[in-house]
Order: sequence, then structure tokens, then C-alpha cells
Amino acid sequence: MPTGRELNRIDLLQGTLDMLILRTLLFGPAHGHTIAHAIDRGSEEVLQVEHGSLYPALHRLVRQGLLSAKDGLSENNRRAKFYSLTAKGRRHLTAESSKWDRLTRAIAGIMNPTGEEGRS
Amino acid sequence: MFWRRSNQSLNREIEDYLDRETRDNIARGMPPIEARAAAQRKLGNATRVKEETRAAWGWTWIERLWQDLRHARRMFAKNPGFSAVAVLSLAIGVGANCAMFSMADMLLWRPLPVANPAGIVTVGSYTATEVVDSLQISYPDYADLRDRARSFEGLVAYSLARVRFAARAEDLPDVRIAMTVTGNFFEVLGVEPEFGRGFRPEEAEVRGRDPVVVLTYEFWEQEFDADPSILGRQVRINDTGFTVIGVTPEKFTGVVQWIHPAFYIPITMPARLYSDSKSADPMGYLTERDSRFLSVKGRLAPGVGVDQARAEVATIGAALSQSFPKTNRDVRMGVRTEREAITSARPGVGALAAMLMTLAGAVLLVACANIASLLTSRAPARAREMALRLSIGASRPRLVRQLLTESALLGGAGGLLGVGLGHLGVALLDRFTFVSDVPVVLSIELNERSLFFGLAMALLSVFLFGLVPALQTTRTDLVSGLKATVGSVFQKRRFWGRNLLVVGQVATGLVLLAISSFMYIGFRAQLTSGPGFRTDHLLVMEFDPTLVDYTPEKTKQFYRDLTAGVRSLPGVRSAALASFLPMSSGADIRQIAPEGYEFPAGAGTAGVMSSLADESYFETMKIPIVEGRGFRSSDDAEAPRVAVVNQTLGERYWPAQSPLGKRFRLSGGEGPWVEIVGVARDSKYNGLTDPPADFLYLPYAQDPRNDMILMVESAGGAAQLAAPVRNLVRSLDPAQPIYAVRAMKEFFQGGPVHNTVLLIQAVGAMGLMGMVMALIGLYGLVAYAVSTRTREIGIRMAIGADRGSVLRMILRQGVALAVAGVGMGVLLSIGAMRVLVAVFPPPTAGGSGTLLGYALVVPASLAVTLLAAYIPARRASRVDPTVALRYE
Repeated sequence: MPTGRELNRIDLLQGTLDMLILRTLLFGPAHGHTIAHAIDRGSEEVLQVEHGSLYPALHRLVRQGLLSAKDGLSENNRRAKFYSLTAKGRRHLTAESSKWDRLTRAIAGIMNPTGEEGRS
Repeated sequence: MFWRRSNQSLNREIEDYLDRETRDNIARGMPPIEARAAAQRKLGNATRVKEETRAAWGWTWIERLWQDLRHARRMFAKNPGFSAVAVLSLAIGVGANCAMFSMADMLLWRPLPVANPAGIVTVGSYTATEVVDSLQISYPDYADLRDRARSFEGLVAYSLARVRFAARAEDLPDVRIAMTVTGNFFEVLGVEPEFGRGFRPEEAEVRGRDPVVVLTYEFWEQEFDADPSILGRQVRINDTGFTVIGVTPEKFTGVVQWIHPAFYIPITMPARLYSDSKSADPMGYLTERDSRFLSVKGRLAPGVGVDQARAEVATIGAALSQSFPKTNRDVRMGVRTEREAITSARPGVGALAAMLMTLAGAVLLVACANIASLLTSRAPARAREMALRLSIGASRPRLVRQLLTESALLGGAGGLLGVGLGHLGVALLDRFTFVSDVPVVLSIELNERSLFFGLAMALLSVFLFGLVPALQTTRTDLVSGLKATVGSVFQKRRFWGRNLLVVGQVATGLVLLAISSFMYIGFRAQLTSGPGFRTDHLLVMEFDPTLVDYTPEKTKQFYRDLTAGVRSLPGVRSAALASFLPMSSGADIRQIAPEGYEFPAGAGTAGVMSSLADESYFETMKIPIVEGRGFRSSDDAEAPRVAVVNQTLGERYWPAQSPLGKRFRLSGGEGPWVEIVGVARDSKYNGLTDPPADFLYLPYAQDPRNDMILMVESAGGAAQLAAPVRNLVRSLDPAQPIYAVRAMKEFFQGGPVHNTVLLIQAVGAMGLMGMVMALIGLYGLVAYAVSTRTREIGIRMAIGADRGSVLRMILRQGVALAVAGVGMGVLLSIGAMRVLVAVFPPPTAGGSGTLLGYALVVPASLAVTLLAAYIPARRASRVDPTVALRYE
């Protein structure tokens, strides 16, 4: 059973992971494996996403109505689950990414203040 | 189904990921086996992934509930004895309550089937010395009340009447029960007809003008096959054509709870030629202020309370007494709520229902105590389990939820089983029959209210008595909980509480058993001492020649011919006429004023039950005349008026004297003087369990009446006489209706005896159940105490204690509890008995019955409690010291 502390850490990751998934799906429907590798590639292998943690996130997003899941046939004629962005998901992504932009700007402002630059 | 599909889909999805990753890895040049392993590493723990994904579905609470239920089921399966006792205790407690609630509901609480029943009250007149207190009123009094009272939206009056009914003119008429009502009846009660219309207020104003009838739904279905084109049909009631104008809704079963009439007709239509009418006018009751036979219900005006209405009605009553001293001198007017009306009209019923409910409540209490002691006795064992689960990371709310689930499962199982048992009980109680010449409808049913009541009781008791120990359990201190051996977690204080529980339980069980054996013995005594009249070889049937429009003279002649004819039939020993059939609760109430007797202030007369009887009655019914004489054929209309009283009446008004030769006046002290010429032995009049009551017999010839009951004593089987008597009646008048033909024995066995036996069974069963459950509780506690002391016993035996002393030690503990419980129970039951005797006067056996009860109950419960203590004590003494010390 997860203790309280573990739960907090997952919560922290959740927001960003969700955002990354939504962003990946902006280019079109994909299945789990593709999404995982897209995130790996997109972050130039910097972000080490444990691929397993993707699935709970995907299912949660489906439940929240941000994604829709559809059974389909993949290129090698296997049954696979394709995830795609819903309209609600698209709106959510826009809101989230602008929030993210503000957050990163604010953090960057603290980490690299102009005054300090001058002194070094 | 959905669950499995979702799981399959998830498995496929994970499998799909692994396949792709493996393929990619192979493409990058890994050997296949390593490629698969690398893919699995990349994914992480597959089981955890699946679990967390499932959690994301948001169905986890169901999954957890399912887990909890499975766990609870395993727990119960592991302790089958515990589970069975807990569920059964609860089921019995709930079942008994369910059944008793259904009965009390039927007797007392079921509201009238009208719109907004809370606003309906019963209004009427009474005298200070009424026997049956049911607020009857005369039509003129009703009319005055209706016109003067401002507290009501409306007042309706009604009365039941026996009428002849024929669906078509050419049909032979049947006898039916009609309700004659005032024109505002349906309107004030808020009853909308199923179709057609109700009466208009003006339809019951002019005598004989409006021959219209509203059928009840039940009657319309039975008699007319629910014919939708019934409106406007002509039917014949008492040989008058009536037009059907409406049908009542199905759920409106009438305002008299136990009697469903066939139809409603205006009160101004000649429903019956009232035999008690004092004038020659058959409808004189509409103008006679002292013909008090109507019942009145009123709907309170908005914002008017019962007390306000009561005050106004009392004032109007007093004014009427002033204006009409001749008829209303001692008459008061009152208002009662529906519940008051029910309980005051049948005081025994309310007391009986309260008694049975109390007994059932006590049974449930014992059941709850049982469950509580069972759960607490398991608490130490559970405490270790809880401590273990807490230490490996279970959250406290999760554990509480687990325990709650267990309680709910227990409560649910017990409750469901209990409702099932209650259903059986109701089926048993529904065999309760009331014998009477009108179709009495007594429907005890397990309605949704009693169902809800039962389940609520079950859950409440389980949560109350199951959760408290559960919460205590989860509050365990982890370290000591894990370290401790069973039993030492709980201090002596806890043990005290449990001891108290068992003492209380044994005491309650004993009180239950004492009360029920008291009632049992009382009822049995009444059953075996008999009703005080003949029930065998007796055929009874009823007549009412006014149904075929006989004049009073013709009626008298008919009865003379009838009795003479019947007496000469072969196989007939004797035959008698009376106006009252014992056990049919139809005795007339007469107001008498005994000479020289001082009534309490405000009363000049006393109401007593009475019956008309002819000269053969006492012989035919085998009611002994203990003093003086019975009636003779010479006691006719010309002779001085005479009466026979029963022993109770004689002793009440002429204590320590012979009532012979004493006199009283009839009709509220205004009537002629009547001399007592005989004293009949007391018998039962309304029911076998009734206390002794005053009863007055008057000769039929001096006070003739139209509807009478013929009693025929047969030499052989009573039923065989039915056909010859019928033929005789047909030869006298082919149109003369005969009804309620029955053998007295069957009537008596079917009704009074049957009901008494049922009561005995119900009461006895509850006493036994209570005591048995208390004993199970005692056994459980002692057994538990022994199990916690195994180690101690081992040590004692290792250092030289012998079996006997261990046995004595354990037994002493059990016996102390048992004796304390029994002692307390005896004290409590003496108190309870006082109440009981006040409510149910003891039968003739009296105190000896109670003593006998104690003589049976106390040793029996002591013996069984000792046994309950002995069995575990013996087991303790068998403990092998080496095993006991190594134990843990």
C-alpha cells in the first residue's frame, strides 16, 4: 500500500506527465508504445519516463474525458488501443501549457536573475 | 462482465506494449530473449502498472468493498459457530420485532385510507359509565353538532347496516353489509371515486328521496366482474331500486378498520328497519335524540388543534344537555384522535400490542447483547490481526471500513433472515381470526413499513454493538498489540463490562421467560377452564325477519313457530333464542340504575352487556343458574319484568348479599323497574382472555326484538341438523333469509380458542427465544474467559492444582454471573409482573399461576446457566499443562 509520501510524489509528476501525453497526441492518434517513445525522443532522452506509469495516466485522462480511446488495427494487423485528443483535452492542453509557460518563466526568473548575472 | 472485459483489454494493451518494445529492441540488434527482458524492464512492474491503471478507472471502492466482503466472508467461514449464533440471534430478534410490529401496525397504527388522515378525528357522545367506549351519537345530536361546531371543515356520520341486496330485480336477495352515510361523507374524507361520483351533500337530507348507491371497489370487482359500464345500473337494496352512481377507489377500504362494507348509501334511505327504534316509524332514528348508533368523524379546520375542538365540542354537548335534559342529561360530547379512538374502544388490544412489542423489544435487546458480547470476546484476537495489518501499512480508515463491512454483512444477513422469519411470524399471526356475523377483514401484512422497521433495527443494532468494539480494536497500541498474548491486551475493567452485559442478559432473559410463562399459564388456565357455556352439540343461526318486512307482531309469531317447530324435529334436544352469541362481541349495552346504589358523581347509570334470552336459553347453553331461577314462559309481556344477572354483576351492586329480589331500572334509570329472579354463573362473553364482566339477561318475551339467534342443541352431530332446520324455515316462509349457520364447536375452536392458542405460542416462543439467547451469551462469555486463561490454568496445574479445583474456580465465575443475573431477573420480573397484573387481570387461578411460573422458571434458568458455565469449565480442567504453557 502506498504511504502518504509516495502519493505526494506521484501527484507532483502527474500534472506534467498528463501535459506531455496531451501534447504528444496533438499530432494525431497514437497507441501507448508510440506515446512513450515520442516523450522519450521529444525530451532527447532527458526525461526518463517509466513506461509503465503511462498507462494509469492514459486511463485517468480517458476517465476525465480529455482523451478518447478506440480499438483499432495497427500497422502489423494487431488489435491495439488508439488514444486521441478530445475537444475538452485540447482546451485543457492550451490552458495547461500557458500555465506551464508562466511557471517556467517565473522559475527561470528566480534562477537566473539579471542582477546576479552582472556580478558573476 | 464489464469488469472482466476491461481487465482483458488492459492485459492486451500491456501485452501490445511489450511486443512492440521487444520488436524494436530486436531491430536494434538485441537477441530475442534479452529483448523481451529489456522491454519488461522498461515497462516496470507489470502487476503494479495494471493495479494502478485499474485504480485510475475509479472503481476501486467497489473492488475494495468486494475485497472487504470476501475477507469478511472468510472471517465468518473460519468461525462458523460465531457467525451462526450472531446471524441467528439477530434474525430472531429482528423477526420477532417485525412480526409484532406488523401486528401492532394492523391493530393500532395503520392510518385511515383517506386523504390527509392526520386531520381526521372521532367525535361523539358518551356517558361516564360506558362499557364499550366508542363515542356513538344520535342523528339529531349529530345535526346540531355539525351546524354549531366551527372547529371542523366538516363532520360526517355513518353506520353499518345489514341489507338485502340483489344485482337484478329477478335475483334472490343476499344479505350484505352497507354503510349508510351523510351526503358530505366522501367530500370531507377527501375520497375521490375511482369513477362516477360520490354523494352530493343534498342527497342525504330528505327521507327516502335519493336512491343512489356508491359501490366499493372490492364489491364491484366481486359482484360485477369490474364491469366498466356499471354507472347508471339499477340494483335492488331492501326491495328498492337504487342507481349506481360511483365506485370507490381500490385503496379506500372504509373508515371502520376491520369491516369492509359492500356499498355506501345515503343515511336518509331506509337501509334497515331499526329494531331498536322506539316509535312505530321505521326511520324514527332520524329524529330520536336517544337512538345513539351513529359514528362521527370530523376533519379539523386548518389551524385548529384537537384540544380546541375538544373544548368546543364539550361546550356544545353541555348546551345540548341543558336543552334536552330528558335524553341528554348524563351525555357528554368528546373528540378523540384516531389512535385514542382505537385504544379506548378496545383497551385490551392496545395493551396486548404494547405487551407483545415490549416482549419482542426485549428479545432484540438480548440478541444485541449477544452480538456485542460475541464481538467483544473476539476483539483481543482481532486486535492482533489489526495491529499486524496496521504495522504492514494498512490505513486506519481502511481497517474501520473493513470492520464496518463485516458488521454490515452480519447485519444484512441477520436482517434478511429476520425479515424472512418475521414473514413466517406474520403468516402465523394472520391466521388470527375474528368471528362475527359481519365479514371482518383483518389483514396483518408485512408491509414496507414493517420491512423497513426490521432492516433498520438489524443495521442499527449491528452498527451500535459491532462498531464500538471494532473502533476500540483499531485503536490498539501497535507494539503491545503485537507483543501481547491473547487476553492480556484487555484489562480487568473491560472484563467487568462484559460481565455486566451477561448479568443483564440473563436477567432480561429471565424476565422474558417469567412474563411469558405468566401469560402462558394464565391463557392456558382460561383455555382449560372453558368458556362457561356449552360449545358441543350446538347449531346456531341468525334471523332478521325485518329484512323481509315483517311487522313486530309477525316477527314474534315467526319466532314462536320457529322454536316450536325446531323443538319437535327429530334429533333436537332443545332450542333457544337469544340476541347475543357468546364470543361474537355483539352484546347490547344497557344502561341500568340499581336501586339504592350510589354512583360516583356525574353518573346515574351503568352500562352493562346484556342479551335477550328465552326460557330455554340457560338449559340449552348449559349455563348453570346458581341462585333463584331462570326464565319461564310465564315471564311474558303482561307479567312483572324480571332479569337474571351474572355473579359479577350481583357482587358489584349488592356485595355480600343475595341479589335475588333486588331491583333496578332500565333505559338510563327512566325505564320500568326490573326484579332480579336469578343469578347465572359467570362465563366468557367476548373472548377467552377477558376478565370477568357484568352481564345481564332479560327475557325475550318482555323486550322483543327482530334480529335473533337460534341455538339448537342436537343429540348427534350439530351440523347434521342444518338441513332439517333450513327446511323447516322454508316451510314457514320461503323468503325468510337465514344467515351465519354454524356449529358452535367450530365457531368456538376457529375463533377464540385458536386465537388464544396463537397468543400462547407467540408469547411462549418469545420467552424461550430470549432465554436461549441469554444462555448462549453466558456460554460464550465463560468459554471465552476460559480460553484467555488457558496459560494461567496450565501454570496452576503445573504447580499442583488438581482438576477439581480448576473446575471449581472456573465454575465459580460462571455461577456468580448466573446467580447475579437470575437474582436481578427475579427482582425485575416482580416489578414487571405488577404492571402486567394491572393490565391483564390474572385469571381465576390468580397468584398460584405466577408462583408456579417462578417455580418453573427460576430453577430451570439456574440449571441451564450452570450448564452453560460447566461445559467450558470442564474443558478448562482438561487442559494439559505442557500444551498450555507452550501455547502461543
